[in-house]
Amino acid sequence: MSLDTLPPATLPAVAPPRKESRRGGAKLDTVTKLVIAGVVLILMILIGYPLVRILTQAFTVEGLGTLQDIFSSSANRTVLVNTVILGVLVGIVGTAVGFAFAYAQARLDFRGKRLLHLIALLPIVSPPFAVATAVITLFGRSGLITNKLLGQDYNIYGLTGLTLVLSLSFFPVAYMNLLGMLRSLDPATDEAALSLGANRWKIFRSVTIPMLIPGFASCFLLLFVEAIADLANPLVIGGDFTVLSSRAYIAITGEYDVASGAAYSLVLLVPGLLVFLIQRYWAERRSVVSVTGKPSGNITLLRSPLGRVPLLAAVFAIATLIIAIYVTVFVGAFTAILGVNNTFTLANYRYVLSGIGSDAMFTTTILALIATPIAGALGMILAWLVVRKIRRGRGALDFLGMLGLAVPGTVLGIGYAVAFNRPLIIGNIQLLPALAGGGAIFGGALAIVMVYVIRSMPSGQRSGIASLQQIDPAIDEASTSLGASGFRTFWSITLPLIRPALLSGLTYAFARAMTTLSPIIFITTPQTKIMTSQILSEVDAGRFGNAFAYCTILIAIVLGVIGLMNLIIRDRSAPTRTS
Amino acid sequence: MATSLSTTRETPRTASPAGSLQLTDLVKQYPGSAGTEPAVAGITLDIRPGEFLTLLGPSGCGKTTTLRMIAGFETPSHGTLTLDGEDMIALTPDKRPMAMVFQSYALFPHMSVFDNVAYGLRLQRFPRKRVQEEVDFALASMSLTKLADRAPNQLSGGQQQRVALARAMVMKPKVLLFDEPLSNLDAKLRVQMRTEIRALQHKLGITSVYVTHDQDEAMSLSDRIVVMRQGRIEQVATPDTVYRKPASVFVADFIGRANFLDTTIDTLVTDGGGNRATVRALGATYVVPAHDALVTGSPVCLMVRPESVALSPAPESREVTGSYGRVLKSVFYGAWVEYEIETVDGNVTAVIHDPAPGDILASGTFVQVSFEQDRAWLLPADD
Repeated sequence: MSLDTLPPATLPAVAPPRKESRRGGAKLDTVTKLVIAGVVLILMILIGYPLVRILTQAFTVEGLGTLQDIFSSSANRTVLVNTVILGVLVGIVGTAVGFAFAYAQARLDFRGKRLLHLIALLPIVSPPFAVATAVITLFGRSGLITNKLLGQDYNIYGLTGLTLVLSLSFFPVAYMNLLGMLRSLDPATDEAALSLGANRWKIFRSVTIPMLIPGFASCFLLLFVEAIADLANPLVIGGDFTVLSSRAYIAITGEYDVASGAAYSLVLLVPGLLVFLIQRYWAERRSVVSVTGKPSGNITLLRSPLGRVPLLAAVFAIATLIIAIYVTVFVGAFTAILGVNNTFTLANYRYVLSGIGSDAMFTTTILALIATPIAGALGMILAWLVVRKIRRGRGALDFLGMLGLAVPGTVLGIGYAVAFNRPLIIGNIQLLPALAGGGAIFGGALAIVMVYVIRSMPSGQRSGIASLQQIDPAIDEASTSLGASGFRTFWSITLPLIRPALLSGLTYAFARAMTTLSPIIFITTPQTKIMTSQILSEVDAGRFGNAFAYCTILIAIVLGVIGLMNLIIRDRSAPTRTS
Repeated sequence: MATSLSTTRETPRTASPAGSLQLTDLVKQYPGSAGTEPAVAGITLDIRPGEFLTLLGPSGCGKTTTLRMIAGFETPSHGTLTLDGEDMIALTPDKRPMAMVFQSYALFPHMSVFDNVAYGLRLQRFPRKRVQEEVDFALASMSLTKLADRAPNQLSGGQQQRVALARAMVMKPKVLLFDEPLSNLDAKLRVQMRTEIRALQHKLGITSVYVTHDQDEAMSLSDRIVVMRQGRIEQVATPDTVYRKPASVFVADFIGRANFLDTTIDTLVTDGGGNRATVRALGATYVVPAHDALVTGSPVCLMVRPESVALSPAPESREVTGSYGRVLKSVFYGAWVEYEIETVDGNVTAVIHDPAPGDILASGTFVQVSFEQDRAWLLPADD
């Protein structure tokens, strides 16, 4: 399968456009100016306005009260402390697991390497509950392994379960980043150390690890933010262990206290943005990896059994766990109640594929398919503006675009609920009708598409920027010099050249849209059913079989679309004469 | 003025006679670099129709920035730029009737050779048949016909540069702009392409502005050379004048190689052919052509090209005195020998072409050093 075309879930910011004193001194043409204005307006509506509304809500009297509470009342302080503990644990465990997989992949030779790579990427394409629900089935109070096999009365709910589930769900991010870094390390540095008399273990400690420290730090931060922003898993497997995101969810859906919800999410937003900014700063000055020239020589593989055996044992144990989880999902979908009543049944699929289930499946796929090209196009245009057109303020525009990813999903969802549940009226003029919620136009579907777009766009933007920086600016200038306007150049030169990046960005955008829950859950409506929120309600109701069936179908749709997009990329790669 | 602007869109950018380009006091100060020297500090040039003009100078002298201002990729901070009397600065690069050939060729990698060359014509909405004819002709004249369906990455560097050239020429622009187009080619190919560019430009008669840091390219291609230094023009002249009568020590040093001898003017006479000065150098008196700006008493510097230095045997001398010098170093290059000679006026480099077998002087040999006085040049000393 073509999973390896997927970029990691949260790409660290690519190095910002290189400083070229020569470029961008020309005047912008009118079309480009209009495009800039249009893009900024769209971003303002999609992300700027909801964030502003969160801030205004959080700083109302009730919101301020809650904010004060978070730091003063002991119950709320526990929530805050819980959140931090969870983030730190997931950051450490996820980075460690990711590094083990990456190191095995890059520096070890063993059978099943390719398979291990695919297993490590599996959690990216699956909805978050797949892992949580399967872990409950396997290790819960009446879990297949803990109870039936080992006879233990073990409680997985709470911090242990959350750490396990979140680490397994998010470690692929660390894996991809660290694998990329390991592969770009110049093997000559190892050889230099070796020729200076260092042994393997010494090289690992004094050369490899220090060069990867920025990578470890950035993975830790990414996982920290992903972990504290996650909503689905705390709801499913959190038990009594309340974190900020689930507290915000309860405030809004249970207590109808929007201001408090906004206040909680503001506390989530701050570390999210902070980590994002640190990442960008880091990317600008990360110069550890191959400072000079092209990497040369061959990687010397680790052959000593002293290193190989424990590492491979650990990696394969985790891989087995991941497989067990997905087998559970798959088998569970065909079983009445896995672990209790293990009879084969198609009832789960029948339930999911008829009525509400097929409705949700259809709606989700359609909305994701609508959002994906919009997100892709917007991301590419933004990348083009940032790399090629804008000189002053391009950092700000890039940042505005990336906000969709930097802002935790829970915060985004609450922002949308606050901002778009009522029509936007300034003075006496209605600028926008209500976009989200039951009473909104299109049954609230528009707001969901908007969330999909703003959430997926940054990955298109990132891959667009990365590939645009590979293209010689003189190619654009050649087109201009032959009489093409700025937009014409973008359309007939730039776009075809970045199409592969565009498509892989789109693929990822689609997968992300289909599996996202935290921003969606606040704005789904009875008319617009979304698969992920349907799965959550099945899990809540204890109907795990249905949830498993949903998950397998969701995974199948995502993999199917990814496969299709890959076919398209391959077909179009040859240059064609278009006369 | 209003009419000329409004017709810009309708008048095809192609099929125009050669243009005459005026640059008046062009300045480029990059934003954020206020207080430092501008990249281009006031360039005034009058480029005649059909002329091949080369901007030559070391890197960072502002030659590329000047070219990019002409093309419209940079907006001047100050000054005017007109083509046949029409203001160019108001036009975006795509509206200017110019075409540029890039250092990196900048071919569109996703298009065939044919589509690359046809790109500009199609933008002009030329009828299909006309596009076919024009492109076929351009490809034929660059001997590219057989490669029409290839992708750029299937071509060699030289072929890519031909496509880039065909793509620019097919537009029949009023001005052709070249940004170091040959610097990515190997030495032999560079010489060949140089000849082809010159022949083609002569045939088409398109006004051309060519940027390079390679003096051989500048000498062999240009009608006139503009030597630039730190954003300013040092000299504008024909290759012959730039080489023989450089305006400054910088120009003399940058174009070709030169010996600079300290001297003073004994007498200065002005005749029909310019200044002539009597000077003492290398233990003898010479009457040499001199720069117009010189007066008796000016600090001066005598330029003698290594190939103008003559060496003759000095059997009677055993020391460096008067016109006698001693060979310090002797390097054989095949077609010529190069000597470094210690003289009373400092070390002098001499190049002797086509040395006879067994005629090469060893280090330590004493020689008498002189030079052809008509080929020397007296110019203001650098301060």
